[in-house]
Amino acid sequence: MISRALKEGFSGVGRHWAMSISSAIAVAITLTIISLFLIFTTHLQTFTKNVESSMEIAVLVDFDYESSEEEKRIEDSIKAIEGVKKVSFSTKEQEFNYYIEQYDDEETRAVFEPFRDDNPMHDAFYVEAVSGDQIRSVAEQIHAIEGVSDVNYGGQSTIDMVAAMINIRRFGGIFVLALSVLAIFLIQNTIKLTIYARQDEIDIMRNVGATNGFIRAPFVWEGIITGVLGSILPILLTIYGYKFAYNLVHGVMFSSMFKMIAPVPYIYYVSAVLLAIGILVGLIGSWMSVTRYLRETK
Amino acid sequence: MIECMNVYKRYPTGTNALYDINVKVEQGEFIYIIGPTGSGKSTLIKLLDGEEKATKGKVKVVGIDVGTLRHSQIPIYRRNIGVVFQDFRLLPTKTVFENISYALEVINMKKKMIRIRVNEIMDIVGLSDKGDAFPAELSGGQQQRVAIARAIANRPKVLIADEPTGNLDPGKSDEIMDLLERINEAYGTTILMVTHDLTLVNKHRKRTVVLEQGHIVADLAEGGYVRHDQ
Repeated sequence: MISRALKEGFSGVGRHWAMSISSAIAVAITLTIISLFLIFTTHLQTFTKNVESSMEIAVLVDFDYESSEEEKRIEDSIKAIEGVKKVSFSTKEQEFNYYIEQYDDEETRAVFEPFRDDNPMHDAFYVEAVSGDQIRSVAEQIHAIEGVSDVNYGGQSTIDMVAAMINIRRFGGIFVLALSVLAIFLIQNTIKLTIYARQDEIDIMRNVGATNGFIRAPFVWEGIITGVLGSILPILLTIYGYKFAYNLVHGVMFSSMFKMIAPVPYIYYVSAVLLAIGILVGLIGSWMSVTRYLRETK
Repeated sequence: MIECMNVYKRYPTGTNALYDINVKVEQGEFIYIIGPTGSGKSTLIKLLDGEEKATKGKVKVVGIDVGTLRHSQIPIYRRNIGVVFQDFRLLPTKTVFENISYALEVINMKKKMIRIRVNEIMDIVGLSDKGDAFPAELSGGQQQRVAIARAIANRPKVLIADEPTGNLDPGKSDEIMDLLERINEAYGTTILMVTHDLTLVNKHRKRTVVLEQGHIVADLAEGGYVRHDQ
């Protein structure tokens, strides 16, 4: 049963190869754009994750609570807050050194040296949140702990940026979906033309008792084949194009925070998604086309 | 085998095609439906093979209420009936053998069985030597015989013939009639034949139902029909 339909599907593609190729090319262009968007959004996702994980909350301990018991209590309270991933401690001496080291020239450093004995810095905890959108609520809860003098985190602008990237990602998903629908219509139209070319045959098939499924199968295979043909070029472009781009910039763009995803197995995942979209688009497009025609046929 | 009970057909365009049709055809009967153009003959065939649904009344063929079938069930139903058309409706890109085997492929018959059955049937219709010919290489009469072969390939209980001799000259029409009669006798196939070829009706006498403007005006058991208003 399937072999017959598949065979006829192939001969259908061969019979009007020019039309099949042209619609495969149209699908290929759509899939290429989809591929770019897939790569763009997945990178945005890893980038967002990087930003999120590097977002720390600095917790400054009040001068009156610097005893080790009090600091142990504060640390335990912080760890008890939901959404806290990691807590690390830094003494006021470490903080002072860290502050001074920000300056490169000896002169400026010397200016700060007198303050070492009368250290204005606080003991501090550095807290990582599980995800970026939890940072603010975690920070607020830490602030409420007794003995915490102040809480600093990347600030609202960082949080806004993360939120914006999440939105862009969502938009990317919608865009990919819209392009898939477009590809479905392209295939649907091609199959519609092949159906009209074989109208008599379909009518006769129904006359002699062929079920709708029997009539539909070869056309659906034809759609799937077209979809697969259309996904070959985008897949090759994705694999070789991405590898090329990766080698070109050595996997790093702009800053170490924006690393490119390692090509293997990433490009194969993207390829698999493209192939799946190609197959699905061919299946749905041809299915809709034949079903619509069969509904008109008596 | 075929039963029409108080059947009315009115098309969405407002045309009334059939009024209160009551016909009962027993198994193994051979019956003519005759009448001038626009008398409702084609509509009757469409009701019988499931192309159209009766507006009122019941159409039963081989015990199936045709009017209640869903679109997806109609092909399955059609395996019980064979239909022959005036314009043959053969696939031009397939050979005689393929055209006949096609009707068996769509009902999922095994390849081996198909080969045996098609050869058998080509013998019955007298085209054993034409298996590899394409429809365009055959005469009209031969093409119609291929169409009949296709229609009876899966041994339907009912054969519906819509003007099967309409495109043929009288000599060939007689040949087709002989073939249909042979099928009727040898296999007990119920045959309903729509025609307006009165010469044929008078020569091969059978039960004749006369349609005029959507009404049955005569149902002559002995057959034969005298032209009166054409």
